[in-house]
This record gives sequence, structure tokens and C-alpha cells, in this order.
Amino acid sequence: MKNKLILFLGLFLASSVVVLAQSDDISPARKQAIDSLALEKVKDLSKYIAIIGSKDTQFSEANRVMDRAEELFAPGAEMGVSSINSNEIAYYKVRRYFERLMALNYDRVNITWYDIQYISDLERQPDGRYVGVITIFQRFEGTSIETGMNYKDTTKKDITIYVEKKQTQIAGRTIEFWDVMLGDVRVTETSA
Amino acid sequence: MRFTLIIFAIFIASISIVSAQGIGSGGTIKDDGRFAASTKQLNQFFRRFNGEESPTDGNTRFYPGDSLYHNNALRQGFLQILFDNQTSSISRDLKDQFTKNVLSEVYPQYLNFHRVGWYSEVQAEFTFKGKRESATLILKIQPEGLGYEWVIDAVSFPPFKNLFNKPVGEEKDFLHPLSHELGFMNLRRAFQDSKVPEAFTGSTFHPDYLTLFLYEMKQNNIKFITVNDVKFHFFQIDGWYFEVSQFNRPGFNTGWLISNLVKLNPGDKETIEKYIYDQK
Repeated sequence: MKNKLILFLGLFLASSVVVLAQSDDISPARKQAIDSLALEKVKDLSKYIAIIGSKDTQFSEANRVMDRAEELFAPGAEMGVSSINSNEIAYYKVRRYFERLMALNYDRVNITWYDIQYISDLERQPDGRYVGVITIFQRFEGTSIETGMNYKDTTKKDITIYVEKKQTQIAGRTIEFWDVMLGDVRVTETSA
Repeated sequence: MRFTLIIFAIFIASISIVSAQGIGSGGTIKDDGRFAASTKQLNQFFRRFNGEESPTDGNTRFYPGDSLYHNNALRQGFLQILFDNQTSSISRDLKDQFTKNVLSEVYPQYLNFHRVGWYSEVQAEFTFKGKRESATLILKIQPEGLGYEWVIDAVSFPPFKNLFNKPVGEEKDFLHPLSHELGFMNLRRAFQDSKVPEAFTGSTFHPDYLTLFLYEMKQNNIKFITVNDVKFHFFQIDGWYFEVSQFNRPGFNTGWLISNLVKLNPGDKETIEKYIYDQK
């Protein structure tokens, strides 16, 4: 009887680890769903950047959009920016980066995106959260009517995404879901 | 071989007809194929090397069980575009030998993100006692907690280079072999009279520059400024070493590419690692 009890307990413990491991693993189908969610967030960021960078956007509206954009990011996220002429990376807090974007002295700012992106595998970090990187390419065009200055560049943006399983209560039931936050962004000017 | 050519003919043709599935449907620019061809992340280098993604744009990830997962013909095509074909002087013959080795029917070899045998070399700028200095950091992946992390394995920092120059031969001072009978009162020679106290250390003594570096950082003598360059060193393929660097330039041969390839003879691995780690 005692042996049977030990065997039963052993089997029970073994199966609960499997259930736990399965629930923490990300299947290819789940990964695809997470990729879509992450791309949605990046898409939102792109829209916000275009609004913030546009001279037509009122100051108060730009500030409101900056708040929304900031909410996409995990606390402490930074933008690391480098140019063709210098490999040195300049670091800006996300908010500061947006403020610099808003302060650009162009009458017309046009920000567009290439139809190509790359989404890395998700790797688990020590705290159990998953991390990935989405790469996109952005084209910036700024025109100043007064000086006739026209600036263009194409940048590669490598955007960190953090993926975490969270729980919420809906009508008394606990629902589990995967949440995506944006993290550090590396901005590299390309020669394209 | 014919299958490889067909796959890559489709790849090249499809580059120009990739449908717009980018970030914003309204304001998107059509890629002329350069960004699709570029090995945009090191993750993509792994996937291409192993044959784990679609050849057009990498949007489809192949998993075990998929028909093209680790497919030899797919890998052959990818391997051709994973070399820096513009500036590096890797001979055609060496590339062919490497490709043949990697794609062997009996013993195909793959890269593994979590396995040892690869690491990163990072050039970073610091200020040391107010002066700007470059440092080379060696980082490697290790398991930690529920996942993995990059850790600093070693540092090479020029200001530390000549800090420890252990004299040899007649110039080397020492504590005579009966010092213990005097209760080591002659330690004064090492710690007070000598300008090279390292002369009194054992024959296996090697300064730990990373500890020294972290100590100076904790003393606020070293401050981080920026990262200048990153590259990767791979020893995961039996009998071979290769280096992967990032190429940001016009054209189709861009991104993370093999910039150096060496066929290893016995003892070569240790020599190369010694050179990379630069701990002398």
C-alpha cells in the first residue's frame, strides 16, 4: 500500500512538472500569435512616431501621443542611435527621443516604412520572461521651406520585445494571456 | 545542386514580387530586395546557416517536422550568401571545403545558440581616470535562472597592459628558500622595496584583468561611454573557425556575414582563442 502511494505521488509530481513545462513553452502557433501582437505594437509605435514628428501636430496633441507611445515600452527603455559617419551610439530615454523628434525644425516630415521586417526567435531570460527582436526599416524625409533644406535617411530599427504570461480576472474566472512590451531600440543609419 | 539553383532562382525572382505586408499598409515603401537579402539579425544568420527559414524573406520559420527544415539544398543556397563576398579574402576553395564539410550527408553540422563554442567580441569606449580609452570585452551565453544571459568573460584594456611585467632571469628578485625560518620578515622586499611585487608571485600567476577592470569601475575610475563595434567568433563546426561581422553598405551582400574563415590544424584553436582573448 505504502509503495503504491509513493508510486502514485511520484507519477503525480512528474505529470505536474510536464504540465508546467508545457504551459511555459511557446509552440510555433503561439509564437505566430505573439509575433502578430508584437507587430501590432510596433505598428502603433510607427503611427505615433509619424504623428509626433509632423509639424501639423499641435503641441498638446503631440504630448498626448508621446504618453501613449511611452506606454508601449517597458520602464527604462532606451533608444541607441548611430549614424553612417560614426559608429558611436548616442543613448536617449524613450521620452527624450520623442521630444527630440518633435523639436526637429522641418516644415514637412514624412516617415515611411519598408515592407520588410524580421522577427527573431523568442529566448527565455533568467526571470522567465521571453525576449525577442523585431527589425524594421524606416525612411525619414524632412523639408524646411525657409532654408530649402531637404534631409533624407533610411534607418534600421532593432526593437526589443518582452513577452510575458499574465493573468486577469474576468467575471470571476482567471484568464491567462501573453502580453508584449517594447524594450530598448537600436537605431542604425543604413547606406541604402 | 539543380534543386538549389531552382530554389534560389525562385528566391531571387520572388524578391521583386514580395507582397506588401509591412508595418503600415498606407505609408510603406516596397523593398527592392536588398533588405530581404540582408542577414538582418544574428538570429537570421543562425536560421539561414541551419536552413530554418524560408528563402524569400525569412517570414516563415521552419520547425522540426517541416519538409524544408535543415534541408541540404536550402542550406547550400543560404551558405553562399552568408559570406562577405566583397571585402574579405576568403578563397573560393576554402569556402567550398567548408560548405562540403558543413553539409556532409553523413555528418551535417549546425550552429546552436545555447551550446558553447561561440562568443562575442565587443569594442567599447570608456573613460579611465578622465582619459578616453577603448576596451575589448568578450561575452558569452550561459544558462541562468529560468533562461539564458550574456555574461562578460574577459576584458582587454590597454592601460592594464604593462601593469604587470614579471621580470625573468637574473633581474627577477625573490624570497630565498629559508625565508620561513625568519618568519618571512623579508616580505618587506616584495611589498616595500620592490616596484615589481609581481616578481614574488608563483610561476602560474596571471593577472585577472576583468577583476581589476571591475574594481576600477567600482572606484569610479572607469566610466562607460559607448559601444563601437560587435563581432562573433564561432568554433562550433568541427575543424573550423569563423568570424561573423556586420556589413552596413549598399547592395545585396549586407548584414551579419562570415568575414574570416580558418581551417583548424591541431593547436590552432588555442592559438586563435589566445589571440582573441588577448590576456597577455
